[in-house]
Amino acid sequence: MELVNRFKKTYNLEWVKLELLKTAFGKKDSYMGRKDPRLVMVWYFIVSLLPWFTFNQTILIGLLVYTIVTSLVSRVSPLIIGLLTIGVISEIIYIVALVYLFGGEWAAFSSLITFTMKITIMSIASIAAFASMDPEKLSDALLSFGVPAQFSFAVSYGYRMLPILLDEYQQIILSFRLRGKAPTNGGVLKWRTIYYYSKIVVKAFYPMMLNTAKKTRTTVEALEVKGFSYSLHDKEAKKQKLSHLKLSNQDYTFLVMSIGILLAIYFLGKYYPI
Amino acid sequence: MNQLSREEYSQSQKMMIFILAMSLFGLANLFTELLPEFVLGPVEISVSYLAFIPLSLVMLFHPLYAAVGASVGEIIFGDLLLGDFGGLGELEGFIEFTLAMYIAGLLVTNLRSKKQVGIAAIVGIGIDQMLSTIVDVGKVWVGIEEVEAVPGLPESILAIEGLSFVTEMIISGVIFGLIPTLYLIPRLYGKIEPLLGIKPREGRVKASMTEWMSVRFVILAIFLTFMGMVAEFMAEMDINFAVWEPEFLEQFGDGFIWLPISAAAIVFIVAVFTAIKWLGASSNQDKKGKSA
Repeated sequence: MELVNRFKKTYNLEWVKLELLKTAFGKKDSYMGRKDPRLVMVWYFIVSLLPWFTFNQTILIGLLVYTIVTSLVSRVSPLIIGLLTIGVISEIIYIVALVYLFGGEWAAFSSLITFTMKITIMSIASIAAFASMDPEKLSDALLSFGVPAQFSFAVSYGYRMLPILLDEYQQIILSFRLRGKAPTNGGVLKWRTIYYYSKIVVKAFYPMMLNTAKKTRTTVEALEVKGFSYSLHDKEAKKQKLSHLKLSNQDYTFLVMSIGILLAIYFLGKYYPI
Repeated sequence: MNQLSREEYSQSQKMMIFILAMSLFGLANLFTELLPEFVLGPVEISVSYLAFIPLSLVMLFHPLYAAVGASVGEIIFGDLLLGDFGGLGELEGFIEFTLAMYIAGLLVTNLRSKKQVGIAAIVGIGIDQMLSTIVDVGKVWVGIEEVEAVPGLPESILAIEGLSFVTEMIISGVIFGLIPTLYLIPRLYGKIEPLLGIKPREGRVKASMTEWMSVRFVILAIFLTFMGMVAEFMAEMDINFAVWEPEFLEQFGDGFIWLPISAAAIVFIVAVFTAIKWLGASSNQDKKGKSA
């Protein structure tokens, strides 16, 4: 089937790996990425919660435009934008189909659109805020808000181990493929090929689990030598870790600007409601 | 707790389990995140997660740390590192998945029994899917104001959700959950634990029932699940208010909407604080137990 061929061409493991590394380790020097992560976090919570307190479509459109512009300014990767667009479009198609099927009126359609707009604002805000932010900065912000230190450790660990894990998994899959034989005749809907690859994907996790277990032990032992689990509960260590978080002039400008824009959107909504 | 008995887990062993579950399920999530979905009408056929990884880890090791580790791995690798961090929405999935996996791990007493492993695997995935289906149906119910008014709509939503529940159970539950777990558990049992310096699990871990299933924990879990749902519903509440009780609204003004939402928010914040405090207390206990 054509779909499967296309899938095989685009979704080979090398491509996946490169794409992932590009997204995870891409340049984070963007507009939102330079801000204090705590401020960005607060901005996200405010912008994503605001839509739920209003039914005014002007305000919602204003917020939508605002979040879209912010995400454009912070240069979000096209992969993520693409995924979101597909999501929103399918949601709208779903809505239109539902309304059409059940012979609904404009009122039902309109409130459904309002609902979709709120959800969309929320996800675009999260993309604008977090997509271009260094994961470690984000985890520092979470730590300063009181999330357990294990989580921020996990982020740093994942950030560093991702390429190694991916490499290892790819190695195992490749060796499975070297030793195996892909079916020449795919069968109906290429089910034999799909079955073959699914089996490899699952089986490759067996050696992967054992290797990772070994690696994990080494890591934890090395961490414990440095007194890791004590530092997790130590207030002084946390303070030192977070000492680099400081609000700069740039952050204040951002704060004033966001408040100004949000107020402007609300005034616009109040005097020119749709 | 003067000396560590062999069935107990030390602080660093808990950490190892956490990191192991996190890296493995995180990696698997990176993978599934990029797999394409086949959409047939309203039903989509996709692999939503490779459930066999958290399932086997939860059965082989301490269920709580493996379950939390797997959920954290999903958030970090699948979302955060890809720049797809969902903020508030992650909370719901985290609670549902951790709870489901934890229960699955608790169910197993004998890892050599295929029947038990199989039942636990299916129950684990079932709980996760059921919770998310309930939340989804609730979302549509509350979110679309004219569910009852439009003939056939409630039935069709139930049908769609039921169908997606079934496909999820077949694909994620059986094909990528049950079967690989049954394949992996006999191979990993007794082999992977020594690599972490842990004695293979036999029966339930000793003295665990009272420790794990303390009343406080159960209440907290149920409470957090409930809060996850409230957080989800909170999001959709407004439309329901706008349409069902318009006069009511005019009478009290738009400000009235703040009432339920802020109430929910306050309860939520209290819940989070209790959880953090509780977690802090338990980890202090661990520390004391270890240093004593």
